[in-house]
Amino acid sequence: MYIDFFLDRFRAKPNQEAMIWQDKIYTYGEFLAYVENDVATLRQKISGGKVVGLEADFSPRAVSLLLALIGLNCIIVPLTANLGEKRKEYKETARVEIVISVKDDDTYTIQETGKKNSYELIDQLRHKNHPGLIIFTSGSTGKGKAAVHDFLPLLEKFKTERKPSRMIAFLLFDHISGINTALYAFAGKCLLTVKTRSADAVCQAIERYKVNILPVSPSFLNLILLSESYKKYDMSSLKLVTYGTEPMLKSSLLRFCEIFPNVKIRQMYGLSETGIICAKSKSSDSLWIKIGGEDIKTRVMDGLLEIKTNTVMLGYLNAPSPFTEDGWFKTEDEVLVDGEYYRILGRRSEMINVGGQKVFPVEVESVIQEMEGVEDVSVSGEANQMLGNVVKARVKLTANETASDFKNRMRTFCKGKLEAYKIPQKVELVDHLMIGERLKKMRR
Amino acid sequence: MDKILGLITKEIHGFNKTLDTPINLDKGKESVLFGRDSNLQSIDFVSLIASIEQAVSDEYGKELSLVDARAMSQKNSPFRTVGSLAEYINEILKED
Repeated sequence: MYIDFFLDRFRAKPNQEAMIWQDKIYTYGEFLAYVENDVATLRQKISGGKVVGLEADFSPRAVSLLLALIGLNCIIVPLTANLGEKRKEYKETARVEIVISVKDDDTYTIQETGKKNSYELIDQLRHKNHPGLIIFTSGSTGKGKAAVHDFLPLLEKFKTERKPSRMIAFLLFDHISGINTALYAFAGKCLLTVKTRSADAVCQAIERYKVNILPVSPSFLNLILLSESYKKYDMSSLKLVTYGTEPMLKSSLLRFCEIFPNVKIRQMYGLSETGIICAKSKSSDSLWIKIGGEDIKTRVMDGLLEIKTNTVMLGYLNAPSPFTEDGWFKTEDEVLVDGEYYRILGRRSEMINVGGQKVFPVEVESVIQEMEGVEDVSVSGEANQMLGNVVKARVKLTANETASDFKNRMRTFCKGKLEAYKIPQKVELVDHLMIGERLKKMRR
Repeated sequence: MDKILGLITKEIHGFNKTLDTPINLDKGKESVLFGRDSNLQSIDFVSLIASIEQAVSDEYGKELSLVDARAMSQKNSPFRTVGSLAEYINEILKED
């Protein structure tokens, strides 16, 4: 089986801790039993090449089943409960043949859907007898796109054993970075699961279990800063914070560096389509990154980043090919280039064209977020007869202020920090934070 | 009309604090807003109009869009002076 290297590791170090779930530590020895058991059970019911929906969140059984399904060369579609209504849509789109549901008490059920998946990309995997992974892009607009991966290249980096350290399983189980986190549990790091992904719960867990690594989304770092939960708990065990999935606000990054001078902050670059790619920040407080390594090539075409790597997906099930004729993956991320460093500006689809000038929401949000009394801000475009589009800011304030007064204060504040066309022409006051279920900024 | 004029003037007063060259309101209704003889940049103009739209819709409970095809096709631009803008808004509000 393609997971034998994991099982060998479990046998060699049975006492090493792999996961802390509901206050109990699970060791490699226990995981070996879990996985061997699951492989034996599933083998009776599921043949290789089946497309299996895995409805679960981080738990010992969930990660054991993930491993067992890889071992049986299945094509796995991870699905978490917080997808809500989308879960049904995703199962339809991926033509899931079997659904495994892990329940709260960590037992599970297996159910056949009666559907048959005969997509060409899936058949390619079946012919090669390779396990696969289907990840949905959490596109903020429209339908999620189903990215099909060959699982083998994604497993490669876990063959190297990492130094033991404790890491919070924060990113979602059905996200490419969540699957990445899950597999780290078997590469030497201990995964700590949290019941709720609130700033308070996460900071409390860091104190209680002396967590070293915190992989998060930039929006969540903002929540930690805003909630000031870090003041309530001892966070001194924290060594490394990694972030990715969306551009970071410069203001938040500087603030975070100031509060945690001894924590290393590293930006990752990863998309559902490319797998998690090594990146190196110029420094902890810099938004410039170097992407790549030996097997990763990058280039910029028309301001957009393109990538060639062996962990890139085979293709989408339900969308046109995002590859160039010569095989580069078009990320749709607009970047600035400085020598071998890139700065990710944002998705081209989120770019606002104001009278022919480009505006990226994150740059504007970053400035407004620094203003006194601003709790959260989300910037998007709005059609305008005169300029094509204008910049609209939705803002949550901490104190009472009229939209008109705030707008004038904002214009004065932004002057000199942003070009005139980037200063929001429209302002709407809202009474809720604009961070979605997926812990990313909502811009619509 | 006076009420609308008051709303517009109030918005411009606030807005002026954010401009390097404020809009001169000395001539009352005849004060130049946008077009010939105006120092207002188009990006600031769009921003100011958005503020005025907001103020009017807060007051009258009606969403309105001032910069549209209709405004563009008027023989005399409704945005020439403070007074012409007030008249234009008054017209739109009277429509239903």
